[in-house]
Amino acid sequence: MPIVTIDGRQVEVEQGTSVIQAADRLGVEIPRFCYHPDLRPEGNCRMCLVDVEGFPKPVVACATPVVDGMVVRTPHESPVASKAVNGVLEFLLVNHPLDCPICDQAGECSLQDFYMHPDYGQHQSHVDPVEKVHKRKRVSLGPRIVLDQERCVMCSRCVRFSEEVSGYAELQFVHRGNHVELTAFEDRALEDPYAGNLADVCPVGALTSRDFRFKRRVWHLSHADSVCAGCSTGCNVRIDHFGGRIERVVPRRNPGVNRSWICDEGRLSFRALVAVPRLMYPRQGATELDWSEAVALSHDSLRAASAAQGRPLAALASASATNESLWLFRQYVLAAFPLHRLAFRLEREIAEVSQRQDNLLRRLDKHPNTMGALHLGFDGGEGLDGLLALAESGAIEGLLMLYYPPLVGEESKETRERITRLLHLVPASVVLTTHELPYLTAAKLLLPVATWSEEEGTYTNYQGLTQHADKAVPSRGAVRPAVEVLGDLWHCATAARRQTRPEEIFREIADSVPVFRDLTYASLESRSATAYPPEGRMHYGQEGFAGR
Amino acid sequence: MAQILTRNVSDPAQRELSTALRSSAYLGLRQALTLPPHEVVAEIEASGLRGRGGAGFPTGRKWSFIHAQAGQPVYLLCNADESEPGTFKDHYLIERDPHLVLEGVAIAAYAIGAHRAYIYMRGEYTGVAETLGRALAEAIEARIIGPNCMNSGYDLSIAIQLGAGAYICGEETGLIQSLEGRRAYPRVRPPFPAVHGFLQEPTVVNNVETLACVARIMAEGAQAFSDLGTGRSTGTKLISVSGAVERPGVYEVEMGYPLMELLEHEAGGIRHGRKLKGVIPGGTSVPILTADEAAPLTIDYESMQGAGTMLGSGGMIVFDEETSMPHALLRIAEFYAHESCGECTPCREGTGWMAWVLRRLLAGEGRPGDLDLLLRVGGNIEGRTICGLGDAAVQPVRSFIHKFRAEFEALLPAAAPREPDWQRHGHGPRTGRFGPPAEEAARSQAVDGPPTAAL
Repeated sequence: MPIVTIDGRQVEVEQGTSVIQAADRLGVEIPRFCYHPDLRPEGNCRMCLVDVEGFPKPVVACATPVVDGMVVRTPHESPVASKAVNGVLEFLLVNHPLDCPICDQAGECSLQDFYMHPDYGQHQSHVDPVEKVHKRKRVSLGPRIVLDQERCVMCSRCVRFSEEVSGYAELQFVHRGNHVELTAFEDRALEDPYAGNLADVCPVGALTSRDFRFKRRVWHLSHADSVCAGCSTGCNVRIDHFGGRIERVVPRRNPGVNRSWICDEGRLSFRALVAVPRLMYPRQGATELDWSEAVALSHDSLRAASAAQGRPLAALASASATNESLWLFRQYVLAAFPLHRLAFRLEREIAEVSQRQDNLLRRLDKHPNTMGALHLGFDGGEGLDGLLALAESGAIEGLLMLYYPPLVGEESKETRERITRLLHLVPASVVLTTHELPYLTAAKLLLPVATWSEEEGTYTNYQGLTQHADKAVPSRGAVRPAVEVLGDLWHCATAARRQTRPEEIFREIADSVPVFRDLTYASLESRSATAYPPEGRMHYGQEGFAGR
Repeated sequence: MAQILTRNVSDPAQRELSTALRSSAYLGLRQALTLPPHEVVAEIEASGLRGRGGAGFPTGRKWSFIHAQAGQPVYLLCNADESEPGTFKDHYLIERDPHLVLEGVAIAAYAIGAHRAYIYMRGEYTGVAETLGRALAEAIEARIIGPNCMNSGYDLSIAIQLGAGAYICGEETGLIQSLEGRRAYPRVRPPFPAVHGFLQEPTVVNNVETLACVARIMAEGAQAFSDLGTGRSTGTKLISVSGAVERPGVYEVEMGYPLMELLEHEAGGIRHGRKLKGVIPGGTSVPILTADEAAPLTIDYESMQGAGTMLGSGGMIVFDEETSMPHALLRIAEFYAHESCGECTPCREGTGWMAWVLRRLLAGEGRPGDLDLLLRVGGNIEGRTICGLGDAAVQPVRSFIHKFRAEFEALLPAAAPREPDWQRHGHGPRTGRFGPPAEEAARSQAVDGPPTAAL
């Protein structure tokens, strides 16, 4: 395999690797606009010019394949490359409106970042603002994206994304020279269900997310690495939040799962968390309880309804719960109820878990952890319908349910009705859930638990890949993570205390379940996605370069 | 005067196949079809023919780069986009002897193993395209082109495609993109068209005049062709002379023909008895020559190169003493700003910037240092672009300013440097951590200082 030297450091790479990829592997920063690791290289921005020994003039690192013995010098080392890149950056700013103070990209803008870098930018302006070419601003491209043509650097990442990745091909350049404009045909609204990615791939403020713009300056945001809980694909995401509020969700790059993309439904799934009022306190009917009371009451009523009469406890946990919650749920049921029916299926999760909804990312199963539930020993055959049949025949009198409403779409009318009927039929029912949902009000006891983004845990996607999701924002009211509530219930049943930190629970799972053997939180994180923004967008001061 | 390509141009009936056949049209094709393709390539290599589109790359070498796998389609594209300002020779040739061009296309296609060839014509050449289309129909009718060309067993179909009017479509990868139905954005090389060209298959793109030469070489032999000319410039060259001469037009000259001879005799001398000021020898993309520089030159690749310019496409533009060079340059710069395809940054922004600076110079609003600014902008475009048109845009700016600097300096304000408003209010040179690098600071001083003396 060829060995290349970049700024005096050597790396061995596969045949066909480009210089920029080799540099990324070394952690040597090469500035770029048009190059994106998940798009075909185009070589049009000319920002990644590097000096290669034996070449008469600087070449673009993104489209130059590495050959053995190549010696490359980047702008950090080579005055030739630095001068070239400096010239290119100056050109990019000639007609740039410089409206950073009101630009939503400020703080995560490649143009801004590069300009502040002494090896690429910081030149004296020679252009009078009145001399600039003006283009259209605030062009609406539908419900997701707003276009500012003046800020565009014509890198064509968005054009290539819509042609190569989503296939909708709704964007194109028109006109020539410095009047080139990015546009959608007749400014029609983008129909692409992945359009949100256009704002991510855009290295500057030309394409911004209608949902996020003007909400928050990006440097005020805190970040948490997570996994989308919108469907069984398990796209890697980063949750950006401020003051306990989620402001946006953006993809993290993971070539094995979602590359650098995420669907719009997943991107906006966090809105579902606030679309319905949250369940804030444990409740029996209309009476609010405190937690110790609620937990004891729950355990006692379930014991009374099942063990005493020799009837099995119906235990139903939705496949949107984390592996840790599911594991404790099962541990509690096994410990406290020798007779039980353990189920997780509400609809056709198992049949749909791998079924694609489109050719890119979305899958039919809207539960993020169906595979995890199966691995953890939940019975796939029995589901809501099975329990309902038992309840109708009077065979069960107690029901413990851990229920999360879907983040993408809503529960089907049929499922909602069946849940209501089950709750009506069973005399003793305890439901751990997140929101005030009309179809759950028939439950005798309602215990509020944390939603996705409020708790740490792992999800196992359709491929059987277990991924770690960090906690982003705190819960409000008396809401507690399901693992803590289940730990307390377990304590009621066994009188023993147990560890409820997700990491400890996962260690327990890894020790007990062969599929999870040898996995730890540390190993999950080390194999997880590269830092967002995907390689190609850098944040000085915030994150290291892609090489980290 | 050697006439190879323009031998039959004066007869309007030459467009018809019957007349053309009487003047030995398609003799070269018949000859080529009796040889194996690699011998045709060898013959062209032996002739020393170099591409007539501007770059002057040896045609036989270009063909020899095609290595198609069995069953892989190969394409021949004839570049008839002819957009270089000052160039109108291809138009002339197709208009007057279309069968010569078709013959060249067929021979080249046969030599590289292509069964499909496209003639990509400039969008404005609708009339010429009709002429060529009629000639093609006749050739197909006569079974010269088509399945089993001239009973040789070789199949060839030729299609004529009109562009939609953009300079960039004459750049070979831009042409390929356009032919594929895309926006004519040049492609990054490598891969070269010989490997991944039209529809990602091996492709050769040749200029009209080059292919016309190919037809003559196959008919009359490489020796006859290489006997003409001088050194590594063999054969003849079509020169389209325009500008301040008495008889502008297309002239065929043997390589090595004295430039002044062409201007004085064929072109009838400088208009109105004026004096020559400068001449662009090969289309606006090559550096201009002053009258003194042009005087000793001959029309061939080496002579032009020796004088720091290029033979290019042979689009010769003549300027007389009355011409204002800054105005001429503005005209050229505006062409490039208008025609820059906008794909890569340096050319997209740089051409517009150069045109803007020239415009303000001519409007009497020039700033001290503007000439250096122009040269610096040019330097930042050159060698940094995807295709050669970035370099092409810089050549006239640099050569005009270097060679006629006094005229440009006369446009600069005599008064003390005026500091632009936006620099007075807080955007001046910075200091400290965010200050400009030393080199940059030095440069901005130079720019702000008094104009440097003429070179």
